[in-house]
Amino acid sequence: MAAIETSDSSILVEGLVRDYAGVRAVDGVDLEVAAGEIYGFLGPNGAGKSTTVRILTTLLRPTAGRAVVAGHDVVSGASGVRRAIGVALQEASLDPLMTGRELLRLQGALHGLRRREAAARGEELLERVDLVAAADRRLATYSGGMRRRLDLALALVNRPRVLFLDEPTTGLDPASRAALWREVRALNADGTTVFLTTQYLEEVEQLAGRVGIIDQGRIAAEGTPSELKERLGGPALHIDLVDLGRTEEARAALARFGPCTDRPGGGLRVRTPEGARAIAPVVRVLDEAGIAVDAVEVDLPSLDDVFLALTGHRAVEEDAEA
Amino acid sequence: MTTGVAYSAEVTAAMWRRSLLEIRRVRGGMLPTILAPLIFLLGNSGQFGRLGSLAGFPTDSYMAWLLPLACLQGAGFAGGAAGANLARDIEQGLFDRLRTSPAPRPLLLAGPVVASMTRSVIPATAILAVGLAFGTGLSGGVLGLLALYVAALGTCMAAAMWGCLLALRYRTQQVGPLIQNGVFLAVFLSTAYTPQPLLQGWLGTFAPYNPFTYVLELGRQATVSGVEPSWAHTWPGLVAIAGMVAVLGALALRALGRIGN
Amino acid sequence: MSAVALERRPAVQARVIVALAQRALAVQLRRAQFLIPALVLPLVLLAVIASGTSAGRNLPGFPTSGSYIGFVIGGALLQGALLAGMTAGTAMAGDIEGGFFDRLLAAPVHRASIVLGRVVASLVVGAAQACLFLAVGLIFGADYAGGVLGVTAAVVLTAMVAGAAAGATGALALRTGSVELLRNFFPMVFVLLFTAPAFFPRQLLSPAMHAVTRFNPLTYVVEGIRAVLHDDRALGSPAAGFACAAGLLTGATALAVLAMRARTRGA
Repeated sequence: MAAIETSDSSILVEGLVRDYAGVRAVDGVDLEVAAGEIYGFLGPNGAGKSTTVRILTTLLRPTAGRAVVAGHDVVSGASGVRRAIGVALQEASLDPLMTGRELLRLQGALHGLRRREAAARGEELLERVDLVAAADRRLATYSGGMRRRLDLALALVNRPRVLFLDEPTTGLDPASRAALWREVRALNADGTTVFLTTQYLEEVEQLAGRVGIIDQGRIAAEGTPSELKERLGGPALHIDLVDLGRTEEARAALARFGPCTDRPGGGLRVRTPEGARAIAPVVRVLDEAGIAVDAVEVDLPSLDDVFLALTGHRAVEEDAEA
Repeated sequence: MTTGVAYSAEVTAAMWRRSLLEIRRVRGGMLPTILAPLIFLLGNSGQFGRLGSLAGFPTDSYMAWLLPLACLQGAGFAGGAAGANLARDIEQGLFDRLRTSPAPRPLLLAGPVVASMTRSVIPATAILAVGLAFGTGLSGGVLGLLALYVAALGTCMAAAMWGCLLALRYRTQQVGPLIQNGVFLAVFLSTAYTPQPLLQGWLGTFAPYNPFTYVLELGRQATVSGVEPSWAHTWPGLVAIAGMVAVLGALALRALGRIGN
Repeated sequence: MSAVALERRPAVQARVIVALAQRALAVQLRRAQFLIPALVLPLVLLAVIASGTSAGRNLPGFPTSGSYIGFVIGGALLQGALLAGMTAGTAMAGDIEGGFFDRLLAAPVHRASIVLGRVVASLVVGAAQACLFLAVGLIFGADYAGGVLGVTAAVVLTAMVAGAAAGATGALALRTGSVELLRNFFPMVFVLLFTAPAFFPRQLLSPAMHAVTRFNPLTYVVEGIRAVLHDDRALGSPAAGFACAAGLLTGATALAVLAMRARTRGA
């Protein structure tokens, strides 16, 4: 199968649709990831993240639309895609009977390495993910962090051009998470394109150059993390009043700073592009009106706020209840 | 990088080594495949031993009649286990990792099938040894023994493909008992207890259509008929194995191709 | 006020046993994986053996009363009973593993009632299964010269074996609390079956097997079943059959009650 010319994009998705037993899990997704980029794919459980990744990694065929990864169509050029990608799937289990070293060698063989090459590549990767000491232990004895590291090593056996990481740090402790992030940055610095799905907003803020937010099978927004935050109209000030009875007077006085809304439990929220610089003028205006201020806080919007504004729910709320 | 045949061999060998870990690392893992056929062998020959004295029965020793069946059953269960293991790999997500590799799809099944054939030698040999210890003679000599092992490996291969087919179709470990019951039935709905001329009722009608009847006949050259390459004992069994492997293998590959649909 | 605690009153105990038996039955009926093996396996084996070994009729010394399937159906009844009882024991281990058992223990229920509930449920399953198997046999050409009385007696004998198997496997479940272990006991069903003249007359078994059958109480039960079904005392002794079945049932139930005591004392 001939490679398809796709300018410099590593991943090109057009009108992707996937139905599962009458339910549309992915509903017309378009996206483009440039070579060398880290693209964060953000969404709650059941939004269509994993389905999209499964299509892009050739595990699932799309119902409609097309996707090109590393120059190969995921349906007609599946084996070309498989040669070019590395995949660490969220639910990919590791055979509990095997050792880390054995699994790495198996993965090497599957990618066409000779026994000696597979062994050497395995050693190199064990060192890279710091699993040399545990290499001959059965995987049943690995901790969650070790399993994720091995998973990453397995995804790297063939020196992939595009790396898919499906929720790579779900369930990891902060130290393991930070270690994995370091590794992803290093890989990206070497030129690997990374497609990362996550429920953690912090993760995309830390790693991703661009973010796509998927909700109910559709891309709800796309851009750099700061672009997305700007869409919410910049930072806001939270103002607590000593006397809640004077809230309406305060609202009138603050109108010139920006849109002013009630905060749950009392007080006001003023959205102003000035951010912290607006604190002194706000306090002065209220003081001049004789309204006593209890506290003023600056609230910088997070991706979580973006998410909430776009989708009407928080990124991880379903997960917390599940 | 390896290419072509060398690559296929390397992938199959790697998958084979992985599947064989089960023997070394699961203590007693092979026991059920040996125990059940042994109980049937000893139990059935204790119950129905006198059938061997009927006119028209080709051997005096009923255990000699049953022993190849028990060996095939053990080998068949070992083959079915390949399907059960595949179902586990699919359910637990391990198979997804294999599917994202560029290995040609048939090789993803070839490794486990070949490994199950390797494993099947253990129950077949253990059961044979017990039968011999109980005084069954190897009237077919070395060639007869060869025929028995060919029959056992063929049964295992067909059972493994049947197991892979069901595993790929249903993608849940719950399919395990269905696979093994299928193997059990296929082996027993044949000339399991008596030769065709003595079979009465529905089994007499059904057995000639069951390919295992002929595979059994192939295996029985070890302890009953002796080896004489012929259309009576040898060739139909080989044809039956080839047919079952071709049909079940094709169906399993089709199911593998449909797994991403 | 009476010194007898509420849960010790016989009427209350009976109600509890019935309720627990109903629950056990409901679980067994609703889960195909519990029901299918005990129902399907014996019928398949019956079909295979009845056809596959029917040439055995021509052996000198084979009893002439009844059809061949009528003879081997005794083995199918026994197998069904053993599997049904074993299923009950496995379900009990499942209750222990799953935590439902602790809830029962926390309730003011007499310990023995929990065991008896299982055994009673298995008596019912065993009886129902026996009726079904005998009806299937009838359709496929079996005849029962013993009439309604003979069939009833066979059903009771089968039910008692199912209850005994439930007691014995229940005792194992209570001692180990392991579903896995109970599953591994599955081949024992066939060992017990084959070391009794389940499908062939005792006098026609191989000499070694003939010697072994004498020590298996199921030998007398299956011969008793055949004797009452075909109203032919030459096939076996109904009295010996009932005596063995009753012994097995009481012995196994006692084992289960003792295991229950040991378990709750240890807890």
